[in-house]
Formats: sequence, C-alpha cells, structure tokens
Amino acid sequence: MKVYAVIPAYHEASRIRGTVEGVRPFVDSVVVVDDGSGDGTAPVARETGATVLRHAINRGQGAALRTGTDAALRLGADVIVHVDADGQHDPALIPTLVQPLTEGRADVVFGSRFMGLLPSDMPWSRRVLLRAARSFNSLVMGIPRRVTDPQSGMRAMTREAALLVDFRQDRMAHCSEILRLVTRSPLRWLEVPIRVRYTSESLAKGQRSADAFKIVWQLLIGGR
Amino acid sequence: MLIQFVLVLALVLALAVTWKRAKQSVISWREALGWSVLWVIAGVIIILPQTTTTVANVFGVGRGVDFVLYASVITLFFLVFKIFLTLDRLERRLTDVVRKDALKELPEQKHD
Repeated sequence: MKVYAVIPAYHEASRIRGTVEGVRPFVDSVVVVDDGSGDGTAPVARETGATVLRHAINRGQGAALRTGTDAALRLGADVIVHVDADGQHDPALIPTLVQPLTEGRADVVFGSRFMGLLPSDMPWSRRVLLRAARSFNSLVMGIPRRVTDPQSGMRAMTREAALLVDFRQDRMAHCSEILRLVTRSPLRWLEVPIRVRYTSESLAKGQRSADAFKIVWQLLIGGR
Repeated sequence: MLIQFVLVLALVLALAVTWKRAKQSVISWREALGWSVLWVIAGVIIILPQTTTTVANVFGVGRGVDFVLYASVITLFFLVFKIFLTLDRLERRLTDVVRKDALKELPEQKHD
C-alpha cells in the first residue's frame, strides 16, 4: 500500500518545510503542488525531497489539489491523503484517516473538526459560520446532514475513489463539491475526528469568514 | 430636435459601415441583415418615439419608455449571464492547460 500525501501550497515558503517534514513519517511519499507562488515555495519544497509540481500561474487550492491527486495517481499511489500546507492539520492523525481504507472499511475518509476532539482555539464566529454552511450543504447542495464538517481540507481516499471523484472546482468550493460527489456515489465514506490548530498566522492566511459568500457563489454559478 | 438628428446620423453611419464590412466579407450577409434590422428599429424609435408605446401596450406596459427600459435590463442581464458562463469555461480551460504543463515533467509510472 503506497500512501501519498498531496499538499497544495501557495506562498508557503516559510512553512512548507515544516509541513512536509511533519507529514513524511506517516506516508510513503509527498507531492507538493506550488500553485504559482512568487516566494520560492517550490525550491524550498524540493529541498525536502518531496515531488514538487508547479502551476505556472495561480489557479486556486482546488485546482492544485486536483493536479497533485493526478500526479499521485500517475506515480502509483494506492491511497491519497489531502493535507493543507500551513501546518493546520495535525499529521499524527494521518494513520487514523488511512486505516479505514487499508482495512477495506471505506473508500473515502473525511477528517472532521466537530467529532469529539475539540478544535483548539477555533473562533466562535467560525463555529457559527460552519454550522450555517452545514445547513446550506444539506438544503441546497443535497449533502447529507450526517456530514459534520462541511469544509474540512483533510481527507483520504483510495486510488479507485480518486479516479472516480472528478472534482472541478478550482478555488475553495472543492470541499463541498467533493462531499457532494462522494456522498452521491456508491463509494463508502466515513468521518473521523481531527484536530486543527488555529494560530493567528493560519487565520490571517487562511479562509476569511466573508469567503463563505464566494464559496456559495462558486457552487451555484460555477457549473461544468 | 437636435438629439434626434445626431442619433439618426449615427445610425445611418452604422448602417453604411455594416454594409461596407459585409462587402469586404468581414461579416456575412446574414449578420449584416440582422444588424441592419436593429439599426432601422432604433431609427424608427428615435424618429417616432410613440411607436414604442404601441408595442408596450401589447405587452401590458403603459409607457413606451418604460418598455424600452425593461427590455434593455433583461437584455443586459442575459448578456452578463452569458459572459459569466464564457468566463467560467475559459477559467477551466486555463486550469487544464496549467495542470497539463505542471504534470509534464512527471515520469509516467505504471501502477501494478
């Protein structure tokens, strides 16, 4: 079983090394997609020994994730794990995500921030927003309410699932899109608890709360 | 009125240019005809603004000016929507090209 981590990175030169080195002990190989950064993210990532691909221009997190996933499939991955570059996801939880796949209990495993393990320092505004997102997902997108985390970036899937899930949202809406595609397919999925570290740095760089409107817009207008 | 004179002059010019381009095969005869119809309708509206009221009444709108306004808003909405879709398609194609380029250096490896 070859486990590949896919890390989309945009302007992460200062953090990508830490993220790759943190992830490496838990996977067989790491693919970093530099999404057109101008700060030397790619060279820094290459120094770590990871497979590094580079988008010539910025195309968004979803697009980078897709490129990395395609690359991992080409390189012969059996399991693909998506991890954010900013070190928000605790890499020690990767085995928890991968285990149900290797045991054949699921085809896709989503990391959820709302299952027991309390998110450290998640702002209350983010909590309210994610609750609203969950309602939007179930009412408008038709994603089951059983899904506890509507916008989690940490997930693992088998090779077969990765070949099947054809996500096309380039920017931030890919989270909901992947959930929708997976929950509507015959693929078996489940959620496992993950922990997310909200530092002032990751909050400043990461999603702004107002981005929620952009995501809704992308989901409604960004058809095929 | 001066405004009518200026607008009609502009339309006559547009009509002339349209047929000149058609003769140069820049646009097809069909397109030229379509544009000409548009110019002529615009001309009629400018010279005889009350005709719009007749059309407006058919659609249940009281004043011709209102009808023209409604029609333009609908047309503009439609055009903006079309531009959105075109843009979206372009963005996706762009992503496909960027992705292809990024994956180019990757050695193809068989999965067993």
